[in-house]
Amino acid sequence: MIRIALLVAGKDLRIERRSRVLLWQVLPFGVTALVLCGLALGPLHAGNSSAAPGLFYLVMLLVALLMINRAQVIEGSPGTRASVATLGLDPAGVFLGKALALAVELWLTGVVVLAGSVLFLHTALSGTLSALPSVVVTLAALAAAGTLYGALSGGGQGPATLLPMLSLPAFAPLLIAGERSFSDALHGGSLWRWWVISLVALAAYLAIGILLYGVLEES
Amino acid sequence: MPSADLADLTPVPAPVTKRRGRGRTIGVLVVLALAVLALLSQGLLHSLNYFDTIDQAMSARAKLGTETIRLEGVVKPHTIDRTSNGASFWMTGGHGEEVFVSAHGSPPQLFQADIPVVVEGHFTSATSKDFYGTQILVKHTASYIAAHPKRVKAPNGSTR
Amino acid sequence: MIKTLSQRLLGPVTLVLLALTFWLGLWVTPPDKVQGNLARLLYVHPAIAWVALYVSFGTAAIASALYLWKRTRSVVMDRVAYCAMEVSTVFIILTLITGSIWGRPTWGVWWAWDARLTSTAILGLFELAYLALRRANDDPDLRARRCAVFAIIAAINVPIIHFSVDWWNTLHQGATVFTENGNLLVHGIMLWTLFISLFAFTLLFFWLLRARYRLEVLRATRYDVALDEALAQRRREGVH
Repeated sequence: MIRIALLVAGKDLRIERRSRVLLWQVLPFGVTALVLCGLALGPLHAGNSSAAPGLFYLVMLLVALLMINRAQVIEGSPGTRASVATLGLDPAGVFLGKALALAVELWLTGVVVLAGSVLFLHTALSGTLSALPSVVVTLAALAAAGTLYGALSGGGQGPATLLPMLSLPAFAPLLIAGERSFSDALHGGSLWRWWVISLVALAAYLAIGILLYGVLEES
Repeated sequence: MPSADLADLTPVPAPVTKRRGRGRTIGVLVVLALAVLALLSQGLLHSLNYFDTIDQAMSARAKLGTETIRLEGVVKPHTIDRTSNGASFWMTGGHGEEVFVSAHGSPPQLFQADIPVVVEGHFTSATSKDFYGTQILVKHTASYIAAHPKRVKAPNGSTR
Repeated sequence: MIKTLSQRLLGPVTLVLLALTFWLGLWVTPPDKVQGNLARLLYVHPAIAWVALYVSFGTAAIASALYLWKRTRSVVMDRVAYCAMEVSTVFIILTLITGSIWGRPTWGVWWAWDARLTSTAILGLFELAYLALRRANDDPDLRARRCAVFAIIAAINVPIIHFSVDWWNTLHQGATVFTENGNLLVHGIMLWTLFISLFAFTLLFFWLLRARYRLEVLRATRYDVALDEALAQRRREGVH
């Protein structure tokens, strides 16, 4: 399972690296969304805002939606699914691999958006750094949930519009946990409590994915 | 120019796939159960509380300072003073701790003595027990008792 | 015989019980000591929420799980899950509306971001998403599998909603009937009316579910017939 996961993750990341979509489309989109958040807050509230952690995760949710759709588009070209199915790969391994690739992409984007948050929203650097463990886990949970919902929405009518509808209610607890632990980190509070919730969500989504991804893919 | 290994189109045998046993399903279900248990442990999700009770706020008084919070307590009878733009009253916690609240904005219809309320606002200074409220919410309980109890018969036939 | 009788009586009995609930709730029961006439919402809101969260969503989740389990997989389970989910969506919207109507005069606000309200709203969003997912796929088998998986994931929310008032401090009142220490805090006829309302709305659910299920079967039959007709027409065109 792990071997297949690494294989699939490597394949997905190679496609991303060669197509440069992450670099030239997704990252600029993340920074643009963050700047727009700053504008929406207005000049008086944009700096050192208590809303910064929430806005960071909101931007990351939008970025995640883009990336999940993109991952579906890669698989969507005619015949791809059928030919992958004939390989007889373990669906749990495929799920883990896709989630891992998405997590790596989200982590990379997350670093850039966090830097943007320090720059534009004046988020304290030390607090941001101490929030990193929770950001890493929350984004990984987002990737696991996203991969599952991507498989649910793919292939039907209007997958690009269906995905947000399906996944955003499920992302809500991650948004809450991520925002709270980031806020706690900025105010020097205890980090572990919300960090644990993100970790639990990650474990739960990985478990559901391993168990049910095969049901979604089988034909 | 395709590389040599791509050009080789000799059929290869299908890869051997291991049959996925029951072990994994059970393992996954255990992880799920543990995740649910971890979430169920109450302390973990404490910060999802909509309000702090007076006791909770008092035990964390130094840390709270003048931060904006929601504070819950029961309105002490005979202390309500309605003003043109709000109301002031004493609020009692579960262990008898009292806080003086002066709130802006008109209180809800049900606001009265002896009723639990949640007040959104902040303490006026880092050590004071005076609370400045911007909104009063009434938190009614789950008990439903007739306004004129004598008219209601209990299931066993007695009036109360 | 008994089956036909119960099927025939389901509708009329539901209507009679609903009428009884409204008569008791509006005329017979006394106003509450604290809430006055507002307490009459006790005979509507909890019953609607009970149907939305436990009865109908529960039916949908169990039917979905049975569909996913290969031994019990059948088109009936898929249809029951879908129809129950649709009824649940209507009831959850009504739960939020009646709750809001109750909240404004008692709490003083239409909406509060407390754990019970927020988790209920999120379940409502899950249900809308389920219906969207249902419409997005034409292949019946794929659609059924995807919707079943989605319903199972959404079901995690139900225990969270149920226990939210015990786990956290919420503005929403604690449990009315299933209290932690088992003490009912509703008096006399008010309690009986509450129970009758719970029963009446549960029957209403089964009535609606049955009607919706029949409609779904008709729709499926109609689809097959239309396909056959279209094929026949095509063949006739080929002859000329």
